[in-house]
Amino acid sequence: MATNVLICDDSSFARKQMARALPSGWQVDVHFAGDGLEGLDAIRAGKGEVVFLDLTMPNLDGYGVLEAIRREDLPAMVIVVSGDIQPDAQDRVKKLGAMAFIKKPVDAEKARSVLAEYGILTGA
Amino acid sequence: MTASAQAVSVSLNEEQRDCYQELTNVAMGQAADRLARLLDVYVVLPIPKVNLIEASDLRMAIQDAETDKAMSAVCQGFIGSGIAGEALLLFNDTSFNDLASLMNYSGELDRYGELELLMDVSSLLIGACIQGIGEQLEIHFNQGHPVVLGQHCKPGDLLKAGNHQWTQTLAIEIHYTIEHVNIDCDLLLLFTEDSVVRLNNKINYLLD
Amino acid sequence: MTDANIELGDIHWLMDILQNIDVGLVVLDRDYNIQLWNGFMESHSGLSPQKTRGENLFELFSEIPRDWFMKKAEPVFQLKTRTFTIWEQRPYLFRFKNYRPITGRASVMYQNTSIIPLESIDRSVNHICVIIYDVTDTAVSQADAESARESLSERNRTDLLTGLNNRNFWLSEMEREFNRCQRSVLPSSLVLFDIDGFRRINLNHGHQTGDQLLRSIAASLQQMLRQTDIICRYSGEMFAALLVDTDEEEAAVFAERIRVMVSNLQDSHLPTDSPVSVSLGIARFQNDFPLAQDWLQAADKALYHAKQSGGNQYSIYQPEHTPGQD
Repeated sequence: MATNVLICDDSSFARKQMARALPSGWQVDVHFAGDGLEGLDAIRAGKGEVVFLDLTMPNLDGYGVLEAIRREDLPAMVIVVSGDIQPDAQDRVKKLGAMAFIKKPVDAEKARSVLAEYGILTGA
Repeated sequence: MTASAQAVSVSLNEEQRDCYQELTNVAMGQAADRLARLLDVYVVLPIPKVNLIEASDLRMAIQDAETDKAMSAVCQGFIGSGIAGEALLLFNDTSFNDLASLMNYSGELDRYGELELLMDVSSLLIGACIQGIGEQLEIHFNQGHPVVLGQHCKPGDLLKAGNHQWTQTLAIEIHYTIEHVNIDCDLLLLFTEDSVVRLNNKINYLLD
Repeated sequence: MTDANIELGDIHWLMDILQNIDVGLVVLDRDYNIQLWNGFMESHSGLSPQKTRGENLFELFSEIPRDWFMKKAEPVFQLKTRTFTIWEQRPYLFRFKNYRPITGRASVMYQNTSIIPLESIDRSVNHICVIIYDVTDTAVSQADAESARESLSERNRTDLLTGLNNRNFWLSEMEREFNRCQRSVLPSSLVLFDIDGFRRINLNHGHQTGDQLLRSIAASLQQMLRQTDIICRYSGEMFAALLVDTDEEEAAVFAERIRVMVSNLQDSHLPTDSPVSVSLGIARFQNDFPLAQDWLQAADKALYHAKQSGGNQYSIYQPEHTPGQD
């Protein structure tokens, strides 16, 4: 069965880059969201079993999304994908429940290894 | 590569703007990371502004960056693969005290002390930003020597009006602030007019 | 350009370029030991590549402050970033003499430097390259422009005959002090004084003697000033002093010192037959002066009283216009 993957980023270029970096052969349905609010709606609708989440976004940023996921206890495995690679940012998102952190620009090999590490990547 | 000398009208569509913004986002994140490690602070990252601006708007863009406060500024040229521009770092003069203590600067904070701090921070921020953008576009940028445009100036006085050789160009503006301390600065990247065409070509390749 | 394309013959002429290029190239290892030293560096330092190779930069060149340089160089090793220094920060990294007797007007070579990372095959940075640019010309011409600007603004505030401040500058300072006094509890005083019978001196001994007298008094005045005192040649033979944080008693002490100084003036250019003296008027700032001009006028009135009382004395301004004590 295909995994529902949500790519949440305000930049269409970044969304495209992320989608391209997804491992080939991984059975997925890819969904997109342009900001945190849209992303949260998609997650509530079950479209985000695995979420690739940007941090700096208008309306609701990545931190806000993580807080909401925790508050509402939503079933989402979140991998933060951000250009903000400061140690502090990485700590903060981990504390907020993010599973992993991938720095931008996202690289396909890194995405694969993170997914494999957490046992998400099966059958690929 | 066709380099046309006559004025090319530069344009920027929404897709391209988004792409520049994202490239900058990544580059400035790398720059912020270096600054954060140097100063042991958290740098607040804004969403960068990407715009085509008229030469006559340049002063306004800078004045907009900060109002009437005294500022110090450093400018540094860069060039690679026929793409050239200048980076301008505008530093709010009220930032120096906090900056000096974060950098453990022990000397007297006079003009020279401030110049040292200004140079250290600009080396770091400008270098990382330029290299960050370059890496993503696969351009190796060479950097010229930094030039101090002025210390303790009004932003409007930093640039002389009316001697720009371009009419319209691409400007990327980043406003850095640091959490819990009084430090803020603006980094402005300006590309030459003819570079924008080449840059757009590079971008289009990424967007394909 | 890829290194694979470079053949042995090419390396030969690349080395030639390195040797002859008109910028300094120094390669340093992780411990700041010199690994490469090009022709430019050899010419200016007088030290051959063989002499410098393997030597520690800071031991060989004591003029380079270790902490300062490492602050610029460490990020290059650690972050693979480039850093720069400019002559405005520190005129030079290496102290090289300026070798041009005709066009060179600076005694040392001003330098900008770039410090760039050199990656090894495994992409780690174990060496850095310091590039030294001679920017003496730029530095000198900028210094010229600056000193020209400075002397211009100096000229705008200086009295050309005596070298003291001129009246305009002094008046603006006085005005500023007047405004400050209105918010301050500390007293400030003005002393206005002129040379008794100056016209007679000019008439009898010529203007040159009169001018010399003014210069001579100005020179002595400058010896007596405190850091905060601001003095000017107000007009003709009249001088004015602004004494910050000084009440009328202290101002009177100052005035008396001037009076004594002038009467004891020893200058071979001056006439010995007629003694020189000054009269002085003192006015302390008072809150009921509506304008700065009124403060000045008060000092002028006091001066008038001193003159009326026979000259060679000071007088302190009293609102009821009575002459002050001698």
